[in-house]
Amino acid sequence: MKRRDFLKLSCGVAAGAALSGLGIDLLAVEVHAAELTKAELVKKALQTTTVCCYCAVGCGLICSTDKKSGQIINIEGDPEHPINEGSLCAKGAGIYQTSAANDKRLTKVLYRAPYTDSWVEKDWDFAIDRIARKIKEERDKSFVYKNAKGQTVNRLESMAHLGSSNIDSEECWATAVYARSLGLVYIDHQARV
Amino acid sequence: MTNHWIDIQHSDCILIQGSNAAENHPISFKWVMKAKDKGATVIHVDPRFTRTSARSTFHAPLRSGTDIAFLAGMIKYILDNELYFKEYVVNYTNASCLVSEKFDFKDGLFSGYDAEKRAYDKSSWAYQTNEDGSIKKDPTLKDPYCVFQLLKKHYDRYNIDVVSSITGTTKGDLIKVYRAFAATGRPDKAGTIMYALGQCHHSVAVQNIRIMAIVQLLLGNMGICGGGINALRGEPNVQGSTDHALLYHYLPGYLPAPTASQATLDDYMKKVVYVTHEKKSTNWKSNQGKYAVSLLRSFYPEGVGREAGYGYDYIPKIDDGQDASVMQMIDSMYNGNIKILTCIGQNPCCSLPNTNKVRKAMQNLDFMVHINIFDNESASFWKGPGIDTSKQKTECFLLPAAASVEKEGSQANSGRWMQWKYAAAEAPGDALSSGEIIWRIMTKLKELYAKEGGALPEAIKFANTDFADKHNHFDAEKVAKYINGMFMQDTVINGVKYKKGDCVPGFALLQDDGSTCCGNWICSGSFTQDGENLMKRRSKNDPTGLGLYPEWSYAWPMNRRVIYNRASVDPDGKPYNPQRRLLEWKDGKWVGDVVDGGAAPLSHENGALPFIMNAHGLGCLYGPGLADGPLPEHYEPLESPFEKNIMSKQRINPAMTLYKGKMDKVANASREFPIVMTTYSCTEHWCTGGFTRWQPWLLEAQPGAYVEMSEELAKEKGIKNGERVRIKSARGSVEAVAMVTVRLRPFECGGKTVHQVGMTYNYGWRFPENGKDDSANLLSPTAGDANSQTPEYKAFMVNIEKLA
Amino acid sequence: MSNGKSILIDVSRCTGCRGCQVACKQWNNLPATETVQSGSYQNPPDMNGDTYKVVRFAEGRDEQGKPYWHFFSDMCRHCVDAPCYYSAEEGTVIHDEETGAVVFTDKVTLDYLDSVQGACPYSIPKGNERTGKVVKCTMCIDRQKEGKMPACVLSCPTGAMQYGDRDEILALAEKRVQELQKDYPKAHALNPEEVRVIYILTDDDEKYGNITY
Repeated sequence: MKRRDFLKLSCGVAAGAALSGLGIDLLAVEVHAAELTKAELVKKALQTTTVCCYCAVGCGLICSTDKKSGQIINIEGDPEHPINEGSLCAKGAGIYQTSAANDKRLTKVLYRAPYTDSWVEKDWDFAIDRIARKIKEERDKSFVYKNAKGQTVNRLESMAHLGSSNIDSEECWATAVYARSLGLVYIDHQARV
Repeated sequence: MTNHWIDIQHSDCILIQGSNAAENHPISFKWVMKAKDKGATVIHVDPRFTRTSARSTFHAPLRSGTDIAFLAGMIKYILDNELYFKEYVVNYTNASCLVSEKFDFKDGLFSGYDAEKRAYDKSSWAYQTNEDGSIKKDPTLKDPYCVFQLLKKHYDRYNIDVVSSITGTTKGDLIKVYRAFAATGRPDKAGTIMYALGQCHHSVAVQNIRIMAIVQLLLGNMGICGGGINALRGEPNVQGSTDHALLYHYLPGYLPAPTASQATLDDYMKKVVYVTHEKKSTNWKSNQGKYAVSLLRSFYPEGVGREAGYGYDYIPKIDDGQDASVMQMIDSMYNGNIKILTCIGQNPCCSLPNTNKVRKAMQNLDFMVHINIFDNESASFWKGPGIDTSKQKTECFLLPAAASVEKEGSQANSGRWMQWKYAAAEAPGDALSSGEIIWRIMTKLKELYAKEGGALPEAIKFANTDFADKHNHFDAEKVAKYINGMFMQDTVINGVKYKKGDCVPGFALLQDDGSTCCGNWICSGSFTQDGENLMKRRSKNDPTGLGLYPEWSYAWPMNRRVIYNRASVDPDGKPYNPQRRLLEWKDGKWVGDVVDGGAAPLSHENGALPFIMNAHGLGCLYGPGLADGPLPEHYEPLESPFEKNIMSKQRINPAMTLYKGKMDKVANASREFPIVMTTYSCTEHWCTGGFTRWQPWLLEAQPGAYVEMSEELAKEKGIKNGERVRIKSARGSVEAVAMVTVRLRPFECGGKTVHQVGMTYNYGWRFPENGKDDSANLLSPTAGDANSQTPEYKAFMVNIEKLA
Repeated sequence: MSNGKSILIDVSRCTGCRGCQVACKQWNNLPATETVQSGSYQNPPDMNGDTYKVVRFAEGRDEQGKPYWHFFSDMCRHCVDAPCYYSAEEGTVIHDEETGAVVFTDKVTLDYLDSVQGACPYSIPKGNERTGKVVKCTMCIDRQKEGKMPACVLSCPTGAMQYGDRDEILALAEKRVQELQKDYPKAHALNPEEVRVIYILTDDDEKYGNITY
């Protein structure tokens, strides 16, 4: 066996492929052939382009998603992207840790009742029903049709909305419709801060 | 950015001021270094020597909050030495316009100031007009009331000694910067300015940018390849979120938010449809009525007609002159007037100034909904330091959101490129995209209002929620089509047929008769008529060879890569710089970038001026629309080491945003707080660290809070590198590790030695859990700019003590 | 065959963004180590069992009294004639013919730490208590075999890191040193004939902090 063939198998530290010892025979090579290097896993994965989620340079990235598990296994710079040409800073290079691979990600609806000391898990139906109900109550109670001068203003001053410049444009626009249809005037996001 | 990232490579001189580009926009340095390879001078003007300074040709330190004085000196240098681009200044700027003889400037105040209201009556700043309403001009630039002469007079006061005394920059460094940058005032040279929040986080924020624009207009650097005023935006889609107006004072597409005095759509149209009397002005904003009606049609596409102003009647109106920006929002919350907050992907309990006040204000909420991918100090504010949860009343939700890589949609980068991204995986557990969450809440509200009625139910019942795909999930591309605009009925325009539901292939086709909808006119054109999404494009064709890549994604407006690009050609349409032909009039048409406005070159009969978004078509050396004066003037930050402003009796910006509550303490020129503090971010963290502190690789690289200080100050205070210290301001205190460094040095200014320190605002109590770190914004003041209300994070006063 | 591969690290172009440091961790799925802020940007303080690449930060004042801040993206040099190769039992360290990468197999257990580390002129190999192995940069040989450049090189924004055939990289290094000498008379390459990861410095070696040269 040529040394480079061996290396192809043995250097997949990352993919969890055990590094083989030296002096292996052909049989061992065959055994290890089932354990792919990370490079090979990435090659077989589904490739998706995305844009960095930090500053607004707008660097392109390629996400590799394992077709079986549906999990992202690698995120690196997109060499075709004309701005970053594959390069990334520390934050961009680490975007993998914003994915499901990070066990600190929020995965459940959390609810904190007044005067209690912890979050409790809830489902979406509970959350959406409760949120819509609370907003409606406040809006119906405090809606301002006219200001002190008697001018029509149709607004809700007792509710505010913040964010966000780290969601997609379509989400921002939908949020703009949401905030304006409720009558909010206290609307802001990260543009000033 | 007026230009775009790749364009930086074409610059002959790059001035980085109020930005730490190498650290906070690291990939920008790919293009900065390319320019440097070609011989460009890279200048970094900043209080600290940073990773940006390390790769710049030279670094000129200045005391935080003195950028206007610094650049005022440059304007004087350019004018005194006649280094401005005269033809450009005369033809393309308002230099020749005559200003009212009532205009005056005395001892720090412009004419029209009302001390009680802390506001200006701007009428005396207006232009002199001819009988036909057009502006009076003197192309010789000699009239004492022409803008050019007023500019000269105003900045003549900023001689090198005065500037050095204010800024603390040595005279040698000042001259070095001025000489290098002013050398770009030639047709064949380009200078660019890269700035970021270092310019915006001041009580003179907008004037900081204005003075950069003045420099660039004098040097003929606007609208050209390798030039421009380039705001390096700090969030992935802060361009998009601003374009789509998650702001109180705009509607999407920078249409002003309706005010109480504009009761009807007709009133509003009068306000937004600009009128000009200048023959050569395109006055693009004369089209805004079409954009406004089309916007309303996208908000209310069904069931609302002309009689309700296409939904104008349902849109909230702010009071005329009302400030509802974030500091005001917090103040109102602090005073118990705001009961509900919905918050997506933001961490106000660390990111907003005077964080103790913010954290207090949050406790007054009855109900809070927070949407994010990780927990943060705001979502969990109710269990923050010093809070007894058993007495804390707020009902809270923390909703799990999909991360950027888990959802499809577009982001607009600083260069205005709207880039499409795809979902690479499902979000973990129950997490959903923010768009889906908002859509579900809206849908539920619609259901409730349809069933039960309530306050102004039409506003909700008819609001657009047509955002879902056939599987009943938020469909970003469907929303993107509303943003782009669609025909609401079969229409024929200039002989071309458009069917109901077709995408509007550009904002020139938008109508004010209700026949088109468009959620944001500046984005119109991002789809073709038959629905091809141009934001997805990935072709690297580059016909100009200048790296414009017109077939890569889509740049608003109309795929223009450099805005105001008509200013890159002479009045006959010939490029000022034949080496960088951004645009050229050839054989009766424009070639190169997408021209700004379609008109012929200026010298032609139907030719037009380059600055098409201004009613007069000219670049503004003089800006009569701002709240705090038509010409930038140096004022001290709200908190500074000085009792007096060297320039005038007016110590602070006379129109700046101030708060006077119990928690809005201020300590100027105080012995208790003698050290200038500035705040910032670093490469390895992002904003308050709300995402990055939860990521082990980044936390490993920057594990905890630090305060950077000079060796001189450390010696004075008996502090050694790596020791823990406490930093205090009039408003709060925070701990950090001392980073004693040669990269900060005391300034000699105003006749004394001024120490300056700096901290990142990347930390908070929530995580890492074992740390003692918290937000640097516990220190910063609730005060801000007169025009934009950006808080003064970048210059305030503190003291430091070593912890036992 | 073009004499294997090489990496050029031109520190005059480095912005210290640490894209390379994190890209290395990302590609190799290396966990973070616990660090503390001790008054420096440099973290982790050195390479370790879970860190193959570290950017070193060193600052001071130049002859004119102006500050400098040097960044040195430290990693295994992949020596042309690697002492570590001979320091462990035969075959536990592999010197790849095609690329010239020096790669530790998992046979390099902690038993070899002293000899392998002692043999390395740069003290690069580190022990990992968790896995019981001695580890270091693999020059991303798995990527190279798939025709990709090493993760750190791909991530570099400014061209401070370049990857290619060794002959080309050597020529590039020579050219770059000449160019730099106009502005930086002290510009020099660090023993390019002996290593595959060739550094170009613009200042005295000792001003780059705790590097071995």
